[in-house]
Amino acid sequence: MYRRLLININQVRNRLIHTHNTRLTLPSTKCKERESFAPVASTSLSEDKGKTPEETEVNAEVNTDGQRNTEMNEGTEISNATLTSQLETEPVVKPEDRKQVEKTKSGKESLLELLGAMKVEVTTVRKIRPSKTPRMSERPDQEPMESTHSMFQRATAEGSQQHGTLNPELVAAVSAAASTLPNRHQAESELLKQLRKHEAIPDTQRRADIGHIISDMKVGKRPNGRSNVRPTSQIRFDDDGKGYTQDRGITSELDGVRRRKSPFTSKRLNLFAAAAEQDALSDLGPTLWDIDLANQIVQATNQMPRNGFEEMIQWTKEGRLWQYPINNEAGLEEEASVPFHEHVFLEKHLDESFPQQGPVRHFMELVITGLAKNHHLTVQQKKEHIDWFRDYFRQKEDVLKEAEAYLN
Amino acid sequence: MASSCSQALRHHVCKSSRLLRVHLQKSWTNRSFEGAVCVSSSFALNSAADQQPAVSSPEEIVIPKKKTWSKEAVLQALASTVKRDPTASDYRFQDDPYLTPKTSSEFKLFSLSQESGRNAAKYFINTYPKYFQKDYAQPHIPCLMPDTLEAQIEEVSEAALIERIGMRKVKAAVDLYDQLLQAGTSVSLDVTNQLLDLICFYGDHDPAQENVPEQRNEETEDVQDEPQAKKGRAAKASDLLKATWKEKNNAERIFALLSEPNTHSYSALIRGMVKYGAYSKAFSTYTDLLNSRLKADVHTFNALITAAPEVKEKYNEKWELIVDLLKQMAEQKVKPNLLTLNAVLKALRRCGTVGKSQAFPVISEMKALSIDLSLASYSHLLAIFYKPGAPIQGQTDILQEVMNEVSGKSFTPQDPDDAQFFITAMRICLDTKDMEQAYRVHELLGVGENWRLLGNDFQQNIYYARFFSLLCMMENIDVMLKWYRDLVPSVYYPSSNVMRDLLQALDTDNRLDLIPQIWKDIKQLGHANRQNLVEELLTLMAREKHNQEVQESFAECALDIKKIYDTGDRGKVLLNWTAGSLSDLISVLLAAHRRQDAWDMLKLFKTHNRVPSEELLNKFLMCVKEDGDVNQAVELVQISAGFCLPGTPKLIQRVQQEFELTEQQRKMLSDLEIQSFNSE
Repeated sequence: MYRRLLININQVRNRLIHTHNTRLTLPSTKCKERESFAPVASTSLSEDKGKTPEETEVNAEVNTDGQRNTEMNEGTEISNATLTSQLETEPVVKPEDRKQVEKTKSGKESLLELLGAMKVEVTTVRKIRPSKTPRMSERPDQEPMESTHSMFQRATAEGSQQHGTLNPELVAAVSAAASTLPNRHQAESELLKQLRKHEAIPDTQRRADIGHIISDMKVGKRPNGRSNVRPTSQIRFDDDGKGYTQDRGITSELDGVRRRKSPFTSKRLNLFAAAAEQDALSDLGPTLWDIDLANQIVQATNQMPRNGFEEMIQWTKEGRLWQYPINNEAGLEEEASVPFHEHVFLEKHLDESFPQQGPVRHFMELVITGLAKNHHLTVQQKKEHIDWFRDYFRQKEDVLKEAEAYLN
Repeated sequence: MASSCSQALRHHVCKSSRLLRVHLQKSWTNRSFEGAVCVSSSFALNSAADQQPAVSSPEEIVIPKKKTWSKEAVLQALASTVKRDPTASDYRFQDDPYLTPKTSSEFKLFSLSQESGRNAAKYFINTYPKYFQKDYAQPHIPCLMPDTLEAQIEEVSEAALIERIGMRKVKAAVDLYDQLLQAGTSVSLDVTNQLLDLICFYGDHDPAQENVPEQRNEETEDVQDEPQAKKGRAAKASDLLKATWKEKNNAERIFALLSEPNTHSYSALIRGMVKYGAYSKAFSTYTDLLNSRLKADVHTFNALITAAPEVKEKYNEKWELIVDLLKQMAEQKVKPNLLTLNAVLKALRRCGTVGKSQAFPVISEMKALSIDLSLASYSHLLAIFYKPGAPIQGQTDILQEVMNEVSGKSFTPQDPDDAQFFITAMRICLDTKDMEQAYRVHELLGVGENWRLLGNDFQQNIYYARFFSLLCMMENIDVMLKWYRDLVPSVYYPSSNVMRDLLQALDTDNRLDLIPQIWKDIKQLGHANRQNLVEELLTLMAREKHNQEVQESFAECALDIKKIYDTGDRGKVLLNWTAGSLSDLISVLLAAHRRQDAWDMLKLFKTHNRVPSEELLNKFLMCVKEDGDVNQAVELVQISAGFCLPGTPKLIQRVQQEFELTEQQRKMLSDLEIQSFNSE
């Protein structure tokens, strides 16, 4: 952006010189020099050819118009008002320039100082430009321009119409300053000469200046204690112009590490002995207060299930849902305390109420073998089963004895 | 590793078996041979497996301990696999797609009606238990059976007293206790203490019956309440207003009757006094306790610490009282618990600058006693350092410190104030415009069961509103829209103000082309009847020129908005046309070259007694000129003249110059010109 602007400025300036030359009908030697920079200018123009025809037209017209053009190109904040004022003053300046011959010294020094201060303003545009990257198109531009400068100084009468190369605003300021002095023409010419010297300072030098400025600049570092507490209505802007500070990630984390020993590990009140013995807590089970506290906590928190499984968890807790098996003993609540041998070794139930031998005994042994392998029945049910047979065989004792099956 | 190894081995075995087969085919049958190969291969595998551990691990095998799982373990594991679906509504509405809420009011309505339906059912079951005696469930399910609300034991005995205490019938229990004393039966100290607990807890009033229809009213009142006031809180506050600690109430009377009150009796009395606002009385009771050479328990101290800021005026006096209480705890060898810490921090919230200097020492003290902080502690801490409304200046970054502490931890609810943490933290993020911390807070919400601590629906709404307005303010539009799609409307129904923030964010990031989409959402969220919002939307659409496609979608959107204006709700007009909204709408239509629609709109100025601006008419004339519609141009001038606009003469001039007019039209225009000239 700036680069293009600068190129424009240079072009316009060159063209201004060009017009000067034609107007003054300078010797042909100068034309040669002109030719030397002309192709360079055209190469740099190639970037924005669309604009140039009009510009050249405008530039070709009059000197003052050209000046205005440069100003517009520079895009500085010079208002229209100052422009018009310049246009008013300039016709006055020009004849004065041509005429001046006398010399006076009164009040010159102070004015020169004033100009020294002004120099900064002349170069504002250049300063902004990023000077780190040396540009191909600009370097060649620079030298022919300077050569024209010196050429002009040599060739033309002192200070005649040279202010075209200077900032018109400055020229206006010079004439205004000079008009306050008794010998205005003389003073003005001196001033303009001084100004031109400043203008002729090689760009490289200025660049170096900027380099100095940049190298002197220090990047402000935030103090460790990241002060990101800002008034509510403000958004803090970071130096990189990102708008808000989002990329504090690592630094803030490092800060966090460094400040680990901060607030939460500050010194304690030292009221309690470090290892206070455990209190004899709640001997009576939960009191009403404890229940209420639990209730409050439940009410304060979000207990709504987020999906079907969570709803099932809730139902399980309420006892509404059959427990999801978490091992192979699910549903063993009533049998949990019964050891396995009660299930397996059932011979002890075949006591003297059954015959010690014979088919009934044999049958009952088969029954308890079956029962021992049955995992669907509880021990109680198995006992009941055996008891039923005991009753049955007792009832049928007569029949069995008749058949000699019941041996006791 | 092992599998690949064994595979290689098997491969090897197969190879060798093929060789074997050649040699042995004669003598052995195919079948038996294969069996032999199987045996040999398995043998080879086994030997390999035996060798390996012998080489690699000579150390002994540690048998892991038996792990006991809770009965929800499987379900919890399953539940953890389910992620939130940003396109689905809340789980409780998924049964009935018809009842999927689209607006926040619908959300409130549906969730509350579901809740109240449950309560109503429970009420009927409990009121008419005789109709609900059939027990279908095979293992008996107690929670499905009606609760017994009537006392079963009629006689005057201690058992009857215990039963009444269990049923929380304050009046009946007190009466029974008096009867027992009159009859000369002594009641054991434990039971008396339980009775005292009951009386003090309810402040000598019968508790409001649970699950009675009134509760529903209360809930709906809470809904309309300030969002800041929690549901539970509001109810409690009203309780406190109704019931205060009365002089010589039953608790004090029964307490006085005790010959030897113990710590529990004192504790009950002091807690009751603190709960019902008799703070100085609580402290004098505490002095009585000390005088009778008893030790207080931790609950008593917690209650007293809560009461400490109430009995002193100055900040440092309050703090000194708290320190004094803590010292006495240490003297009496009472171990403080988490609630003590939270009570101290809560009290420090009301101690101004003293709070800021003392909060961290208190926390370190409690940490030294191996008390883990709960979210409520952090929430109090944040409240101490960031007062709402106060300018936040010269603060060290407490929020960041707190987030460093809590990040990645899963918290279990331990204190009713735990649920305040997230909204407090998010408020501070919003106040300090700290997007980074806001993301950390939100991240913390996703850890473990922390989502439960976000609190009820109202708190969730506040939280998301704060988070989202911060996003609107600080984030670029793409990130913001990503969150928008994620949160709205599955967990968050933005208010119209937040939607305006969203529009402003669209404006700042120059993504006005998204407006038609946002309008659809606005309509769905039920904010289409918000005049401010709709007008802002129209202004944004009308302000700048966009490309043709966008203009076309804007025009569609504008016509949609017009429909909202046209259709009143049951004869009630929802939105009123203003001159601004009308001209914005017309500009949008003109920019999309919908001249006919715009022309219809222009007529609305007249019907609604609004006056169009000159600028709008000029814009309109430009559009008419592009299409070369002479008649409409003349009509436009007539409309302008009808409103007696000062710009009418200029308009007439333009029409005369720029259009080819018939003789009649020319005459009409000159008439109008004279008219407007005369009127001036």
